[in-house]
Order: sequence, then structure tokens, then C-alpha cells
Amino acid sequence: MERRRFVNGCVCCGLLASASTLLAASQAVLPARLDRPEPGSDEGGLWSLLTREEERLQRSRFLLRDEALNAYVSGLACRLAGEHCPDIRVYIVRSPFFNASMAPNGMLQVWTGLLLRMENEAQLAAVLGHEIGHYVGRHSLEQLRDAKSRTALGQFLGMAFGAAGVGAAGSLAQLALLAGMFAYSREHEREADRIGQELVAAAGYPPIEAARVWQQLVAELKAEAEWSGDAGSRSIFFASHPDPEERSQLMASRATTMNGDRGDVASAPYARQIRGHRRQWLEDELRRRKAGETIALCERLLRQSDDGESRFFLGEAYRLRGGDGDGARALAEYALAESRSDCPPEMYRSRGLLQRQAGETAAASASFSRYLALRPAADDAEMIRSYLQEGR
Amino acid sequence: MSRWLLLLLLTLLAGCAGMAKVGPGEVTVRDSLAVTLDGAWNQHAIGLTRKSEVWTLDGLPLDRLVFFVGIADGEALAELAQRKDRQIPKFRASMQAHEVVEMYEVFATHDGSSFQRLQLAPARFAGGDGFRFEFSRVRKADELEMRGIGYGAVRAGKLYLLIFEAARSHYYARNVGRFEAVVQSVRIRG
Repeated sequence: MERRRFVNGCVCCGLLASASTLLAASQAVLPARLDRPEPGSDEGGLWSLLTREEERLQRSRFLLRDEALNAYVSGLACRLAGEHCPDIRVYIVRSPFFNASMAPNGMLQVWTGLLLRMENEAQLAAVLGHEIGHYVGRHSLEQLRDAKSRTALGQFLGMAFGAAGVGAAGSLAQLALLAGMFAYSREHEREADRIGQELVAAAGYPPIEAARVWQQLVAELKAEAEWSGDAGSRSIFFASHPDPEERSQLMASRATTMNGDRGDVASAPYARQIRGHRRQWLEDELRRRKAGETIALCERLLRQSDDGESRFFLGEAYRLRGGDGDGARALAEYALAESRSDCPPEMYRSRGLLQRQAGETAAASASFSRYLALRPAADDAEMIRSYLQEGR
Repeated sequence: MSRWLLLLLLTLLAGCAGMAKVGPGEVTVRDSLAVTLDGAWNQHAIGLTRKSEVWTLDGLPLDRLVFFVGIADGEALAELAQRKDRQIPKFRASMQAHEVVEMYEVFATHDGSSFQRLQLAPARFAGGDGFRFEFSRVRKADELEMRGIGYGAVRAGKLYLLIFEAARSHYYARNVGRFEAVVQSVRIRG
């Protein structure tokens, strides 16, 4: 019955694509609201456990609590989820990695590294739609019925209770274990991809954007592998989501049978929402020290919008990589950043550091002076002043 | 799955690993640095590397003093063995204070912890010019808010860096003075 409703939904979504009545659209794609499992059942036990985990997550210092951004992402998830909206709760977690996850009780986590990598609202909708697909498909619960996962659940429960007195074995280790337990099957991933793409199309976004999310990520990972020679490095997301290239191709070909690239990707509204946060996320990104990925990411951001901030961070990625010729590359990016809007004052400090290291004392002094003029109360002002002293 | 259980086990075992009392009096750190202590510290049996030592006053979850001594050009502060998937920044003898702190940040955040530098200024250290920085960090594993302070200097192309970090509430204020006393007594040997 559930399957038939879903199939019916797929047939309908092409017709609904031009309609802006999103609630009606998602109702056509998604099955009816799910009931909370019986407390005495396996599922019910897992549900109670997840409720406690969610309470911990709600207190986490790594949650991004900005009201406007939360309202925006939750609002988008809500529009996609339709009547499931009251059952899904979105949490934005500060972490520089590309990741999103959905627990069977409707706890949806989106990491800031993923938000940084979305080009537009349509792409974020594709990721949220994918996670909603796991939820409405009850994929985690199907996994739970798998014998291997049951063993894992036993381990998880043992660990959760056995380690109750150990502060260091906090919720994150447990959540990671849960994530492993809910590593979805290929079939589940494909179904979630399909539901996500249906929801994207039904909401009036171009379904091709769902394929682009993965194309972009694959390009980043390849850039890293080429640079570091480490083909084994994988993103956290890919550890549990197989074959991104194959999935991307599948979604691209499916998009042609839907409304392809027609629709509004909503780039400007998305850029407005993340503008106040992007700088922090890019700083977190640099600390990952994955120069190949960061450079590919910054170059992509620049193709979207050639602003001083993106140029600065591309320069920073070169400066921190510190390979042959990277100093010159960084200086070239800083020069471009300076001529564009939104150039962070820290650009002058970074440029000064490179110039000082190269023995260009006068140039370094000019850069450091400019930095201090723009950031007189900087936390490193005293250090910068000492660099200036030696230049006299 | 089993990797996580192993990690947990190691964490628990690490808590039980041996501690030796050091001080008061003159103490040598990895043969390349000497300090004079007015009271006792607890030295963890296992350093991060051959060129580091870890000390504590009230126990490692609450406060720790890490010595990085004589890190040469091309060496890392510590090899993050489980993290072969990322580039570990290596010390370069030409590094400026800002860059040493940037390198330290990578280690302080490798487990997902947050790091915020609060101050960076020149300071006397080990009988010469050096730098001093302060930071705050939210430790990922237990989300405890930490405060930290570091002193560093590059001498004859080698890095000497002392980092003290403690829980922001109570333990930092209680022990930071003892750390400052250690810093004041630091002499580089040979």
C-alpha cells in the first residue's frame, strides 16, 4: 500500500512541478505520517534511546543556534516534508565536514561543512529531501531488523549503559556508533535519492541540482587525491554512502525524465542566509588541512561569486599548504581580494607574514600597518606591533 | 564498529596509565630543557612523541601541561597516527609566531574540538625572545570548555613550545600560576 502511494506520487510529481503549492506536492510524493512505535518493541526501545540522545544534542555547544538560519533550514525541510513536518526536527551542527544524517525518530542533523558546499537552495533541498527519504522509507528500522545491526545495537546499548560513569565516552562516540549501525544499504540510498529528487522537483526546483551536489563533491575529493596522492581519503559521508559518481549519473539521467534544469535554483536567497556564517565555516575548513579539497571548494565559490572573501580564503589555502610556489599564488590571490568587495582585513596580516618571511621589510610593514589600522583591537595587535618595531 | 570500541578501551586504559611524580627541584625534560619546580607535578608515563612530555596537577581530564621540545625543521608536533587522511603540518624553522599557533590549532582541533585564539603577543621565554598566546577550546569528546595558554620560541632552528590547558571553571585559575612559574624557570640545555 505504502509502495503504491509512493509510485502514484512519482507519476503525479511531473504534473505538479510547476505548482507552487508545496504542501500538496510533497503529500503526493510521500506516504502518510508514521506512527511512533510501541514502547515495548525493539523499535520503541531505540526510539527512547534516541530521544535521550536528542536531548543531549539540544544542549550541545556545537549546535549553531542562529535563529534566522535555523528557521530557514527547518522551514525548507518542513516544506519538503509536507505533513511529516511536525515529526522532523533539524539541528545545524558546527563541523567542517560534508555530512547530514537522519535518525529514525526524525532527528535530522546538517553539518556546517555541508551548508558551506551547497551552491543554492535547490541543492540544500536535494540533501534534505534525501534524508527525508530515509525517514519516510523507515530505512533505519529496516536495517535494525538485519542481524548484524541487531548485534551492533546490543553493543551500543551495552556501551551506553556500561559507560554511564565515564564522562569522556560522551554522546558523540555513541552517535558515531549509531551512524555506523545505520549505514544504509545501496537500495536504501537509491530510494532516498529518488524520493529526494522527487521532492526537489515537486517543490519547483530543477531536479538536476540533486545530481550536481554529488558532482561537486566528487570533484573536490578528486582534487585532494591528485594533490596528496591519497586516493584512500574519503569523506565521512561517503564512508556510508557508496558510489557517488554512479549515483550522480543516475540522478542526472532521471532529471532529464523530470523537469531537468527548469525551475529556480534560488541562489540569491541561499547566499543571503549563509553570508553571516560563511567566514567562520571557511576558517573551520582551513583547519582540516585538506588543501586540495579546500582549493577546489574556493575555486568553485569564486565561479559563483568573485568576492574578496573567497579570494582571501583561496590565498589562505595556498599559504597554509606552503608547497613550492604557493607563497606567490597566495600573494596573487590576496592582490585580487584587495580589489574586490568583502575583503577581510586579515588579508593584510597574511600578506605581511609572507612578505616578512621573504625579507621584504618595507612591504611587510605597510601590510601590517594597514591591518592594525583596520583592526586596532585585534587579539594579535601587540605581536604585529613587535613585527613593525623590527622593521624600523 | 570495533574501532570505536577499541578507541573507548584505549581511552579508559590511558586513564590508568602510569604517572610519576616530578619535582620539586630541577627537572630535565627529554634531555633538552630544564625547569626548576617549586612543587610537584605528575608526569604521564607516555609522551605524545619522543620530543614531548605531558604533565598534570589535578589529572589529565582537568588540566595538562604539554612540552614540545626541540622540534626540528620538517618534524610534526605529533603524528596523528589515526588521521592519515589529512596533511599534518610540519614545523619549519622559518615559521613566525602566527604560523606556529596555526600549526598548533590543527592539533587542538583534529578531534573536532573548537579553537579560538584570544591573544598573541611577544614574550620573554627561555632566556630570549619568544611569544605567548591564549586560547579557548571546547573539547569535542565531553564538550568541556577549556582555557589555554602557550609560550614558544625558535632557537637554533628548533621549536620549544609549552602549552597549558585546563577546564575553564575552577581548574584554569587554580593552576595557571603554577604553569607560569614553570615557564619562568625554563632553560634550554645544550
